[in-house]
Amino acid sequence: MNIATKRWLPHTVSAAALLVLLYPLAWLLATSLKPADEVMTSLDLWPSHLEWSNYTTALDGVSGVTVTHLLGNTLLIAGGAVLGNVLSCSLAAYAFARLRFRMSKVMFAFMVATLMLPHHVVLIPQYIIFNRLGLVDSFWPLILPKFLATEAFFVFLIVQFMRGLPRELEESARIDGCGPFRTYWSITLPLARPALITTAIFTFIWTWNDFFTQMIYLFAPEKYTITLALSSFVDQSSTSAYGPMFAMSVISVLPIVLFFFVFQRYLVQGMATSGLKG
Amino acid sequence: MVSTTHAAVGVSRPRDKGGRPPRPSRRAVLAVAAVGLSTALTGTLSACSAASGDTSGITLRFSWWGNDDRAARTEKAIRLFEKEHPGVTVRTSNGDFTSYLQKLATQAAGGGVPDVVQLDYRQISQYAGGKAIMPLDGVIEDRTIRTSDMDKDFLRTGTYQGRQFALPMGRGITGYAYDSAVYRQAGIPTPQPSWTWQDWAKANKKIAALGMKSPDGRHFTGANDGGGNEDVFETWLRGRGKNLYADQTKLGFTEDDLTAFWSFLNTLREEGAIAQARDTVQAKSTETSPIGRRLGAADFTWDAPFPGYTALLGENIHFAPVPTTGGHQGTYFKPSMLLGIGSRSKHPKEAAQLIDFLLNDPRAGDILGFSRSTPPNRKIAARVAKTLEGAEREIYDYAQTMEKYGLDIPPTAPPPGDLAIQTAFKRIHQRMIYGMATPREAAREFIDEANRELRS
Amino acid sequence: MSTVSTTRAPARTVRTTDPRPRRSKRRPVRERQWPAYVFLSPWMIGAVVLTLVPMAVSLYLSFTDYNLFDPPHWVGLRNYREMLTEDPRYWRSVGTTMLYVVVAVPLKLGLALGVAMLLKSLSRGRGFYRSAFYAPSLLGASMSIALVWKALFNDGGTVAGVLDAVGIHTGGWVGNPHLAVYGVVLLTVWQFGAPMVIFLAGLQQISPDLYEAAALDGAGRRRQFMSITVPMLSPVVFFNLVLEVINSFQVFTPAFAISGGDGGPADSTMFYTLYLYERGFTASHMGYAAAMAWLLLIAVGAITLILFRTSRSWVFYADEEGR
Repeated sequence: MNIATKRWLPHTVSAAALLVLLYPLAWLLATSLKPADEVMTSLDLWPSHLEWSNYTTALDGVSGVTVTHLLGNTLLIAGGAVLGNVLSCSLAAYAFARLRFRMSKVMFAFMVATLMLPHHVVLIPQYIIFNRLGLVDSFWPLILPKFLATEAFFVFLIVQFMRGLPRELEESARIDGCGPFRTYWSITLPLARPALITTAIFTFIWTWNDFFTQMIYLFAPEKYTITLALSSFVDQSSTSAYGPMFAMSVISVLPIVLFFFVFQRYLVQGMATSGLKG
Repeated sequence: MVSTTHAAVGVSRPRDKGGRPPRPSRRAVLAVAAVGLSTALTGTLSACSAASGDTSGITLRFSWWGNDDRAARTEKAIRLFEKEHPGVTVRTSNGDFTSYLQKLATQAAGGGVPDVVQLDYRQISQYAGGKAIMPLDGVIEDRTIRTSDMDKDFLRTGTYQGRQFALPMGRGITGYAYDSAVYRQAGIPTPQPSWTWQDWAKANKKIAALGMKSPDGRHFTGANDGGGNEDVFETWLRGRGKNLYADQTKLGFTEDDLTAFWSFLNTLREEGAIAQARDTVQAKSTETSPIGRRLGAADFTWDAPFPGYTALLGENIHFAPVPTTGGHQGTYFKPSMLLGIGSRSKHPKEAAQLIDFLLNDPRAGDILGFSRSTPPNRKIAARVAKTLEGAEREIYDYAQTMEKYGLDIPPTAPPPGDLAIQTAFKRIHQRMIYGMATPREAAREFIDEANRELRS
Repeated sequence: MSTVSTTRAPARTVRTTDPRPRRSKRRPVRERQWPAYVFLSPWMIGAVVLTLVPMAVSLYLSFTDYNLFDPPHWVGLRNYREMLTEDPRYWRSVGTTMLYVVVAVPLKLGLALGVAMLLKSLSRGRGFYRSAFYAPSLLGASMSIALVWKALFNDGGTVAGVLDAVGIHTGGWVGNPHLAVYGVVLLTVWQFGAPMVIFLAGLQQISPDLYEAAALDGAGRRRQFMSITVPMLSPVVFFNLVLEVINSFQVFTPAFAISGGDGGPADSTMFYTLYLYERGFTASHMGYAAAMAWLLLIAVGAITLILFRTSRSWVFYADEEGR
């Protein structure tokens, strides 16, 4: 192998692999612009002509609820979840990482153990609780748990990050007379920003993509998220509506794509600097 | 948890030699903050408005399932009701059938079902037995809900242990959509109400023998494989004088009956006379059924969806009776859906008025049309029928013909487990047609599962 | 995750070896403690109301015939007995899930490692490729992508078309009970971004000196891979393995979306959680579903434990940081 091949081979392989891997996304984009009769009959990726009406049909939404409304609902839920997770998980994490209290290790162990807890174990009772509280068919069951730091993964993440932060600043703040709340708010939180933003990003994306919880808790079409609308769109329509359906799919993943582009540099850098040793 | 979980763990050790902790751009941080802040505000606002609602009058909740056409008609009828009952607001919620069933079940668990609910025939026993809906005998007696123009036998479909819990909202009947051009080409006479399963088998073989091809080059068969459809089996069974259920806890047929039914279809499928397994499992709508994909000449279906077939496939598609056993028709008039009142409704009187309006008001009848099959109120049905034409006219006439031919009375509402049993029927049939079980093994598996379902 | 096993011991120590006399130090202790509880209060409320109580309730429900409508009746072990001895579908869902885990996890980790090594060998454009390879993982968990997948693998879809062209006639995978599960497997494998990024980070931490020394000793690439890369990377492999296995046991959305919610055809994509959902929410057997959830919890716990136990023999820790 000469030097040139050695240098270009990985690039060629990467590019080829990428083509295959991104094909489904290209397919989605292309299909969302195909006329109805080409969707399932033609293997050509490229539409014979661009059928923009798929998008105008999709924008009308489902059951009289427009896509703008659906996106607004989803954004509300995802935004609430982001705020809740960042706030509550960082609070709990600060206590675990920096404060001493009785039973701290037991509680920490419990928190970590819940990482492995299958969601389904608590699903039914949680549903019953929210139902008794009259909160089913509202956004609360989707947002409230985030304000109660139920996603142990993020607490764990922020704890690990905070433990890696130097204590000097906090100690000097304490000497200056800052209480734990001041210290948390003005020293630790700004320093923990990378972990908080990772939390925000993943919360946003997971909440946006979530289907199960939304399906169980939201009933009224005007409360539907884009994911639910998409799922009911599929159930209600025939193959002839494939074009609009995939147009709606594109609309539904667009915010994540945008999010990804805005944050991708941060995301992969954050991951790449990981010093995982087990 | 989502599979991307561990991706973020990387950030947990920021001080590693890999580099200094990554800093997001200022813009990115601001974006997150803006999203968070704005949603925090709007979140509280909209949550408040959603919770309080209209307090000036009575709010009725009405939930139902159906497509957009039904949605538009229902909304229109409800606006009329609201206009005539000042102070009453009706909040509707609808969805597709499967998720509707799940939502209603979970609503029943804690908070109770909405004031007015549209129910499937299969839900009646469960919801009545579980006290999720209330008996309607009182409001029927005081004529808040009028039933004088409805058929007594048909009303019985909404009873549970002798009491009326729900009222049918539409009257449906099974039938057979077939391509008359293909039938003519194969020299098969027009199916009559007395045609038998043997006639049906022969017809399918004749069509298969034509050697026609579908647009994508596949072998063209006589009909879809109705073996996974509990309704088809029920019709077959009733034609032999039996029923799906003997009572609320017992099946009305044996392993031998089901083995016979499945073996009969299995042979036809293996001979290529009816649809192949891969096409049967795909058939989830008119478009994806064998006839919709022009792979077959006919489809077992209901009257209400029939106009969809002619719309898709043209005027050659007609509606015929389901085959009989020795002339004994097994089909019957079945409620396509029923209306009930949630047992915890705070406004049962207004709820009853809404039901009466939807069932008996001529103007509501005109608006709703045949969107929920034939209206059970005879006068309204006759009134609406005058305006019908084409495929809708055909199914209306079909129902008249069948009524004259003579049908056995409908069974009472099926037991609570029937929803699960119905899906089991389809699933186990799929196992059989894919060769994972013989007809007898499949029948045994089904009977076991159904018995378990009925016991619990 | 690894902290589970280790923190338990110190926790015990705290309780037993906290010899501080209560009375004399009472005030300072209290002063130090209350802020911690304020910080923890949201989490504690969540842990009690949304985790501990629901766990207890679902454990209780698993011994009842709760059907959402009638009050629950105690039935003892009937749900568990029925599940383990009378319900062929239960075992089939276990089998399908196992098949999925056994096929999808190694494929996904293998692909992730392969791509990570490929990326490491790139001199330029690594950042771009890394992001691009990660993209499917972000979108993949969504309903939209599941719908795309369904269309690609359906009759007349791209996959069947391409395979036809090379002489393999599979027809659509979605409608074929022998192939449907592999469609879901491929969707999971496609989202290999997360383990890839972690592998890449792990690879970048292996000191180049090691490879140079090995090259000087005359070790070929293969030899270098086996004796340097594999052992040095084993903690990362282990970490990825544990997480993927735990996640794979709980797979839901892709199978739900591709099969249209019924785990079909013929139960071929009826994974454990899908069956649990069907039993609980569609068939209203909440007691049975709760029992299934508890067995899942036990199984996941046991498998994690086994992984940790066996890891001692194959995970190589360079320093004391191995926990």
